[in-house]
Amino acid sequence: MKHVLFLVMAISLSGTLYSQNKQILYGFEEIPQSLLVNPGGKTQLQKHFGIPLFSQIHINAGASGISTYDIFGATGEDITAKVDAKIFEMQDTDFFSVTQQLEILNFGWRTQSDFYLSGGIYQEFDFIFYYPRDLAILGWEGNRDYLDYEFDLGQLSTTGDLLTVYHFGVNKELTKKLTVGLRAKVYSSMLSYRSVNNKGVFVTSIAEDDDENVYEHRLEGIDMSVETSGIADLDEGPIGGKLLGRALFGGNLGVGVDVGATYDITDRLSLSASALDIGAIFHTKNTENYTAQGDYTLDGIELLFPPLSAGGDTFPYYDDLEDEILEEVAVDTTTTSYTQMRPVKVNGGLQYRFGRILAGTGVCDCRNMGRGSEREQAIGLQFFSMARPKGWQMAGTFYYYRRIFDFLTAKATYTYDAYETSNVGVGVSTTFKKFNFYLALDNLLRYGNLAKAKSVSLQFGFNIKVDTE
Amino acid sequence: MKTNLWIPTVLLTVFVVAISCVKDTDFEQASDITARPVVELNLIHFDVAAGDFYDETTGTSRLTLSDTTEIRFLDDSGLQESLLRAEFFFEFTNSIPRNFDVTFQFLSEALDTTYTAQTFVNEGTTTVPVITTFEEIVEGTEILDLTSADRVVVNVTIPEANAELEGALRLKSKTTYFLEITERE
Repeated sequence: MKHVLFLVMAISLSGTLYSQNKQILYGFEEIPQSLLVNPGGKTQLQKHFGIPLFSQIHINAGASGISTYDIFGATGEDITAKVDAKIFEMQDTDFFSVTQQLEILNFGWRTQSDFYLSGGIYQEFDFIFYYPRDLAILGWEGNRDYLDYEFDLGQLSTTGDLLTVYHFGVNKELTKKLTVGLRAKVYSSMLSYRSVNNKGVFVTSIAEDDDENVYEHRLEGIDMSVETSGIADLDEGPIGGKLLGRALFGGNLGVGVDVGATYDITDRLSLSASALDIGAIFHTKNTENYTAQGDYTLDGIELLFPPLSAGGDTFPYYDDLEDEILEEVAVDTTTTSYTQMRPVKVNGGLQYRFGRILAGTGVCDCRNMGRGSEREQAIGLQFFSMARPKGWQMAGTFYYYRRIFDFLTAKATYTYDAYETSNVGVGVSTTFKKFNFYLALDNLLRYGNLAKAKSVSLQFGFNIKVDTE
Repeated sequence: MKTNLWIPTVLLTVFVVAISCVKDTDFEQASDITARPVVELNLIHFDVAAGDFYDETTGTSRLTLSDTTEIRFLDDSGLQESLLRAEFFFEFTNSIPRNFDVTFQFLSEALDTTYTAQTFVNEGTTTVPVITTFEEIVEGTEILDLTSADRVVVNVTIPEANAELEGALRLKSKTTYFLEITERE
């Protein structure tokens, strides 16, 4: 029951499907944290300072292909029948994921030469578990009806990371039309594991007539691995202090960059793009890896009927069989270092602005010649893609942006992807005096009944900011 | 300043919780989820020669060959709780011109006999081996007897043997386990 509830919690809590898609934050210039989604976004900021620990709280959990309601909906149907249907309906590319980020520090300021520099620290937890369809079928139905079927053990794919990210970026309006940005990152990994690129099949087939057994149970082409770092020594000593040390550069370190740019095609039209977390973590300390390789055919137990004196012991057939399996499909434990690529995220956006011009006083903003004008409203399209163990995940967003009052700006999004077709989100940013608060909620239509959501996301935070007058 | 943020944070959380809800669901159903896998697994096999029933050094016959193997998973508490039915299938190929009496005696860890299955094997010849199959179905209250055992003793008894006897008796066997896995309090 506990496991089921955990799953339910994981699915219902919150989160975007593409757990790191921040489609509301992307291009939302009023929110300083939009520079973390596109370091080359346009910004009017003179300086900003995120309220420590409260400047960005981002949580999400999602599952593709299944919602809580699909299983636990009070529909009167037999729950076992519903589980049965889902086990077969879901594909091995479906997944459960949880991402959480907590910004510890965020600050920025404009230099005299008009660079906007920003930096900070955030903590991130990221977990993904792909649905191992064949293993689920094997567990649910057994092998009787699947003779000669090759159960693909390679469908097992999962990663998990807990890390701290230290970053510093620079944003510069290079020309009146082009703004670019670059952010350097240092990752300090606290805990990490991954089991990806697994291979191997399990098959049961009827043996030849002259074979000594009825069946052949075969493991073929097994090449499975789990790599861990920071986990093996967790049971030695206090965990809290250990993790804190690793969070503060004491962990396995890595480096990466974010790049981004915004280009004003015309006065009203701009194009933007960013690529985040192009980098890697080098796991050299506290690593423990497990690999299993080989082929194995289970021959079972052959009785030899040794002549025994009364009370004598026969052969330990069962122990021998266990030893044979362990020997043939040996699990090797190593402490080899390994390099883990960070999951790259790519964003793209096309924006069309209309309505009243905000910056300047009239139709012609003489101080802003050639630049795209800031207008009261905008519509646009965005694209998001993220590298995951089983390929790129993608999503498309259509949005409407409006500055409602000087102190209140809102953005509404409609996001489409392969799994969820009615994901409507809303983000608001309010600034009273210099105090900025923002909130972005995804999958709004599902808040009426979170059980029906495959995912929901939530980001909010508080900043002190000073804009260009 | 920092402590004041708790108020908007709490308000925001209350707001999100207030507008969101999980409804039309019944999590009690979790205890009704039942997996019913059917697992096919080889059991044991042997190949004994006619000569094994006669000890040439002493010049006497060994009318009963006996051997034991552990089947440790059988009395595992998980299997005890979830096994509904077990179908044993034995296939003997006999090229010895004798009938056989074969018993499968399931013993507990304390060596008490908890379940016994017995069959006869038809005689064959070295040129025309005869196949005898035997199925034993265990279900209902007998399941507990079976899953109290963690080893099986196989006794192969020949009515008469001599030094000239030729041929072999082979066995291959499998079990079909019908399981019902559900949550137990």
